[in-house]
Amino acid sequence: MEKVHTTCIYCGCGCGLLLHVEDGRVVGASPSPLHPMSLGRLCIKGWLAGEFVDHPDRLRYPLIRRGDRFSRTTWEEALSLTAASLRAIAQEAGGDALGVLTSAKGTNEENYLLMKLARAGLKTNNVDHVARLCHAPTVAGLSYAFGSGAMTNPIASLAQATAILVVGSNTTEQHPLVASYILEAGGKGARLVVADPRKTQLADLADLRLAPRPGTDIAWINALLNVMIQENLIDQEFIDDRTEGFDAVRQTVLGCTPEAAERISGIPAQDLAEAARIFGSAERGAVVYAMGITQHTTGTDNVQALANLVLATGNIGREGTGLYPLRGHQNVQGACDMGALPDLYCGYQKVAQARQKFEQAWQTKLPDEPGLTALEMMALAEDGRLKGLLIVGENPMMSYPDSSRIKKALEALEFLAVCDIFPTETSELADVVLPAASFAEKEGTFTSTERRVQRIRRAVKAPGEARAEWEIISDLLHRLGVPADYASAAEIMEEIASLTPQYGGVRYDRLGACGLQWPCPSRDHPGTGILHAEKFSIGRARFRAVQHREPVEAVDDEYPLILTTGRSLYHFHTGTMTRRTSLLDREVPLPAVEINPEDAKPLGIRNGQPVMVETRRGSISLEARVTEDTPKGSIFVPFHFSEAPANVLTAQALDPVSKIPEFKVSAARIRRG
Amino acid sequence: MAFLPQECLVPLLTLLSNRMEVVAPILVEGVPVFASWSGQPLALKDNPLLPPQEFFLPQREVLFRYIQDCGRYSFEEAAGKARLIFGIRPCDLRALAVLDRIFGSDPMDQSYFDKRRSTVLVALNCNEPGEDCFCDRLGFGPECSEAVDLQLTEIDKGYLVETGSPAGILILKEHPEFFLETSQSHLLEKCEILGQAREAMNSCIARSLPGIKEAIKKADWNALGRLCLNCGSCTFVCPVCHCFTIQDLGVPDGERMRCRDTCLLSGFSRMAGGTNPRISRGDRMQNWYLDKFEYIPQRTGLLGCVGCGRCNRVCLAEMDRWSLEVKR
Amino acid sequence: MSEYIPRLAEIVDIDIESSNTYLISLKLLDDVDFGYKPGQFVMVSVFGLGECPISITSSPTRKTLQLCIRRAGKITNGIMDCRVGDVLGIRGPYGNGFPLQSMKKNIMIAGGGSGFATLRSLVNYIVDRRSAFGEVAVAYGARTRQDLYFMQEYKSWQQAGIEVGITVDIGDESWKGNVGLVTALIDKFRMSVGSAAICGPPVMINAVAKKLMDKGFDHSDIYVSMERHMKCGVGKCEHCMIGPYHACQDGPVFSYDKVKSVL
Repeated sequence: MEKVHTTCIYCGCGCGLLLHVEDGRVVGASPSPLHPMSLGRLCIKGWLAGEFVDHPDRLRYPLIRRGDRFSRTTWEEALSLTAASLRAIAQEAGGDALGVLTSAKGTNEENYLLMKLARAGLKTNNVDHVARLCHAPTVAGLSYAFGSGAMTNPIASLAQATAILVVGSNTTEQHPLVASYILEAGGKGARLVVADPRKTQLADLADLRLAPRPGTDIAWINALLNVMIQENLIDQEFIDDRTEGFDAVRQTVLGCTPEAAERISGIPAQDLAEAARIFGSAERGAVVYAMGITQHTTGTDNVQALANLVLATGNIGREGTGLYPLRGHQNVQGACDMGALPDLYCGYQKVAQARQKFEQAWQTKLPDEPGLTALEMMALAEDGRLKGLLIVGENPMMSYPDSSRIKKALEALEFLAVCDIFPTETSELADVVLPAASFAEKEGTFTSTERRVQRIRRAVKAPGEARAEWEIISDLLHRLGVPADYASAAEIMEEIASLTPQYGGVRYDRLGACGLQWPCPSRDHPGTGILHAEKFSIGRARFRAVQHREPVEAVDDEYPLILTTGRSLYHFHTGTMTRRTSLLDREVPLPAVEINPEDAKPLGIRNGQPVMVETRRGSISLEARVTEDTPKGSIFVPFHFSEAPANVLTAQALDPVSKIPEFKVSAARIRRG
Repeated sequence: MAFLPQECLVPLLTLLSNRMEVVAPILVEGVPVFASWSGQPLALKDNPLLPPQEFFLPQREVLFRYIQDCGRYSFEEAAGKARLIFGIRPCDLRALAVLDRIFGSDPMDQSYFDKRRSTVLVALNCNEPGEDCFCDRLGFGPECSEAVDLQLTEIDKGYLVETGSPAGILILKEHPEFFLETSQSHLLEKCEILGQAREAMNSCIARSLPGIKEAIKKADWNALGRLCLNCGSCTFVCPVCHCFTIQDLGVPDGERMRCRDTCLLSGFSRMAGGTNPRISRGDRMQNWYLDKFEYIPQRTGLLGCVGCGRCNRVCLAEMDRWSLEVKR
Repeated sequence: MSEYIPRLAEIVDIDIESSNTYLISLKLLDDVDFGYKPGQFVMVSVFGLGECPISITSSPTRKTLQLCIRRAGKITNGIMDCRVGDVLGIRGPYGNGFPLQSMKKNIMIAGGGSGFATLRSLVNYIVDRRSAFGEVAVAYGARTRQDLYFMQEYKSWQQAGIEVGITVDIGDESWKGNVGLVTALIDKFRMSVGSAAICGPPVMINAVAKKLMDKGFDHSDIYVSMERHMKCGVGKCEHCMIGPYHACQDGPVFSYDKVKSVL
C-alpha cells in the first residue's frame, strides 16, 4: 500500500490529506497530522474524498456530438475540432464572441494556462469562473477597502479571538475546520455572535443569535456601528493612523439606529445593541462570513459594511482579529489569484494597466478591454452574440441562476466544449467533451481560503484516456499558436511565479506538507500569515459609506415566500462527486425544501410530503421538511440535486459592481403536489 | 528470545521483503504512516495516526466481483497476499485481539481472517508513550499482552526480540546471522525501560476505566450531540471500530465493495421508512461509548477501548473525549 | 467461499398484493435445500444496486420460498422492477426466528401493516402443524383495505381452527369488516393466555403488548420481530445493534422485556 500526501478536493479549508493506494487504486484517505491548519483532522467529506475517483461513470474518452448522441473519438480529433472551431469563430466575429469558464476545482497551473489560452490564444478577456457566483463581492469589496481581497488571517488565528461574529455562514456544515477553530475559541471563553436567518448548528451554539430578514444586512451592521460610535467602542487611534473615509461612514450610520434596523431586518434592537457591545469591547474581534453576505445584489456593499466594522474597531492585522471570507471551492482562491477574471491578470494586475507586462512575457499582442463576467457571457450567448465557449470543470446548468435561460444560452452557442471528470447536465449540451484527470491523478497546486498554496500529488493513473487539464490546455495552446512546452506542472508554476508578485517565491520544492501562504514574493520569503499587520498595500485602508437597499425581487401576494438556496454538509455543490460517494449519498439521498410549520400548516403541508416550489422562472418538485429552523416567511432549498435543481427557481439579478447573482433572495410560492 | 543489533534491523527486513510485502511506519512528506516499505527510513518514534487495522479491514475492499452472463451471475474473489507488518504497537495489537473475536464469531469473516492468517506481525513495545496514551490505565500496555509472532523492545544498541508463534520462531531460525544471544541484562533493561514508560504515561483520573465509566454515566449527551460536527473521525481512527457497509459498484458487471462506515452518522441506523432508532447525535455518541465500554466487553470479554487516545486528537468539535465535559 | 457471496434464485412467480407490494416466489438455482424457521430473514441482492434484509413470508412446511417486497428504497424498487425469470441473490437464512420450542401452545399473532409479512410464515406453519398448538388467534390491521395482504388465505386460517380478526384504519363503502385498532380485535378473541408474536410499527407493538399483559400474558412470553437497518446479516457490521444485541443474530425476534426500552 502506498500513501500520497495531497490536499482535499472539497472546500476552501484546504485540509492536508493522505490518499491510500493499493494495486493502482485509491482505497482510502486519512488526515495529515502535520498540516498547520487541519492538524490531523478532516470532516466526513474529506475522509471519503477518494471514493468517487474510480466510479464507473468517470469520463474516459473524448466524445464528439453526432446528432443528439455522443460518440467516442480520438484526442487528435477532439482537440483539433475544438481549436479549429474556436479559431473560426474568432476570425469571423472577433475574440469577443468567445469565452472561457475556468474551473475553481482545477489547479492553479490549469487556471493560469486557461487564462493564457483565452487571452494569448483566443485574444479575448472573456474569462471567468464561479467566484462570480460566490466571492466576487469579496474580491471587489476588499480590494477597494484593504487593497487585497483575501482572508486577512490564517484560519488558526480564530482560536485567539475573544469575540467572533459569524454572518451568513453555515460554518459547521460548509467549513467544518473553521467551525472547529471557532468552537476552540468558544471553549476558551470567546463570545460567539451568529447572524443567519436560519437556526443552523452554529447559530444554536451561539451566545447571541441574530436572525435578519434575508437581504437586510447593511441595515443591522450599520446599526452595530451606530451603537459602537455612541458608546465609544470604536478604535479611534486605528482609524486615525491607518484608514481614511471614516467621516462619511460616521455620518451615514447616525441614522442607522438599532430601532431603525429592527424595522428593516426584524432583529430586536436590544440584541443589536448587545452584539455591538460584545464585538466593540472585545480585545480581539474576528468576523467570519460567506454566501449569506455575498450572494445579494448588494453583495459588494455588504462586504464593505463588514470591512467598515473591522476597520472601525481596529480588528485588523493582529492575531485573533481579522476578516475571514470563507471561499467555497478548494481552489477558487487560486483561480482568482491566477487571473481567471475578465478584468484582472494573475496577481490581481489590472488588464487595463498591466497589459504590456504580459504582452512582453507571452510574446504576443493581447486584447485591451476588460471582458465579460460569466453571467454577462450567458446573456450574450442567449442573444447569439457570444458564439463559442470552453467550460472546464464547472456545471453552469446546475450552479448558475435561472437554468432555463442558461440552457437557452448554451444551446444557442455555435460551439461548446466541456472538459470534466464526470458527465454533467452541462456536458450533455456540448459539441465536444474532454475527459479530465481528477485531483488524485495529476500534479499541481491548490490555494485554500487562507491563501495557503499547497500541493496535490498524483496517486493513481487517470482512467481510460483521461488527461490532466494542464496537458489538455497546453495542447490547445499549441494548436492556437502559443508556445506551451511545459514538461511538468512545476514548470508552469515557475512561469506563474515570475509574473505573479504574491507567488514570487512559490516553488514545488518548498511546498512539502504545509504549503506556503501568499504573499510570498521571493524564494527565501517564508510566506505571510497575517495581512495588513504593519500597513495596507494601498497605504490607508478605505471606509465607504453603504446604505440598505431592498433585494431586487420582493415578495408579494403571488409569491409570498422568500426563497434562499444553500448547501448541506454531506454534499458538494452540484453533487457530481458526493452523490457518487455512498455514505454521503446515504445521509442525504433526496432533495427537500425546508419550511416553517407556521407557513406549512395553512397550506396543509406535512413533513415528508411531495410539494412544488415555484418562482417566476420555473418550478421544481421535491419533499417538504417542516422545521422551525427556517424562519416564518422563508423557505430553503439546497442546490445539489439534479432531480430538483434549485437554480431553475433563482434569478439573474446581479450586483452592479461584482455581477454576482442574488441567490439568497427570490420570491417563491409552495403548494402540495 | 534473541538480541537484534540496531544495524541488523534493516538488512533483516530487506531479506524478508523478498518473500512478502513488508509494511512499516515510514514518513510521507514528514507524516508517519503505515505503508509498503521498500527501504525508506523507518519512522519509529510516533505511532501513526491511522492504525494498521486497515490491512485487515480496509477502508474499501472488493468482497467479490459479479459477472453477468445471460441473466445469470458468476463471482470472483480476490486472492490474498503475504504480508509482514513491522512496528505495530501493543494498543493496536490488543485492538486486533478484539476484532478477532468479533469477526471470528459464527460465521467467521473470511476476508478478515485470510488477511490475518497471511500476515506476520512484528510488534514494537512503546518506550515513550504519546501525549494522549493511557493503555496502561486500562490494564495492558505499553508492552504486548497478546501472543504475537515477534515482539521487539528497543534497548541499548538494538532490540530484545521475543517470539510468540511458530512463524516468529521460524524467522529467527531462518536468519541466524542477524541475531545474538540474550543476557540477563537485556531483560532487566527491557523491564526498566518499559517501567519508565508506564510512569511517564498521563495519570489524570479521566483517563482510566473507572474515570471513563463515570463520565459516561454523568455525560449530558444532548449537549455533546449539539457540538458534534459529524466528521466521523473518532470512528475512523479508532483501532477497534469496525462498522462497515456493503455496496455495489457497476452494472451489469461490477464489484460488491465493503467500505468502512461510522455509527455516528444519522443514515447508519436510519431505516427505509425514515424512522431512526438513534435519531439524535447525542444518542449516537452515547451508543458509541456504551458499545466500547459495555457491549463489546459483554460480547467478547475484552474492553472495546485500547487507550490509544486517537479519538481525542482528531475530534473536530474539540471535545474532551474522556471527561465528556461540555466546555461551553 | 465467503459468507457474502449469495446463492442465485430465480423469480418463478409474482403476485400483486397491493399497489406497492409484490409477493414473489423464488427457486434457488443450485438445488441445495434451503431450510429455515418462521421469523427468519434473508439478505436479497439486486446486483448493481445492493442488498437489503427481507423477512421470509412463506412457511418452511411448504414447497416455495416466498418474500413480500414493498417499495421502500433503492433496492426494493429494484426488486419491484424485476420480472419472472430474473435472477436475484439470496443470503441466509439469518436471524433466530420464533422460539417455537419455548413458546406456549396457545399463540396470539398480531401484526400491523407490512410487518404482517413476517408473521404469515408463522401462521401458515401453525396451519400445517396444527395439532402441535392449542388456541391460536391472528389479529391483523392495515391502513386501508388496499393495503391488506394475503386476503385469499384468511379463510384457510379460519378453517384450520384459528380465530382471525382483520381491521383497517380507514374504511370505504366496499369494506364490511372492522374499522379500528388491532387491540380492539384482541378484545373480541376467546383465546386465553399463551405466547404472542407481534410485528408492526413501534406504537402498535407497545399498545398490543400492553393489552396482552393486561389480559395476563407475561412480558417474556411476548415476542416481537424488530426491524432494523441491516447490511451484513451476520452480526459484524453493527448497523442493526439494539443495545448490546444484534437484530440479525440475537433477533430479529426478541422477547418484549428485552426491547421495551427502545420501542
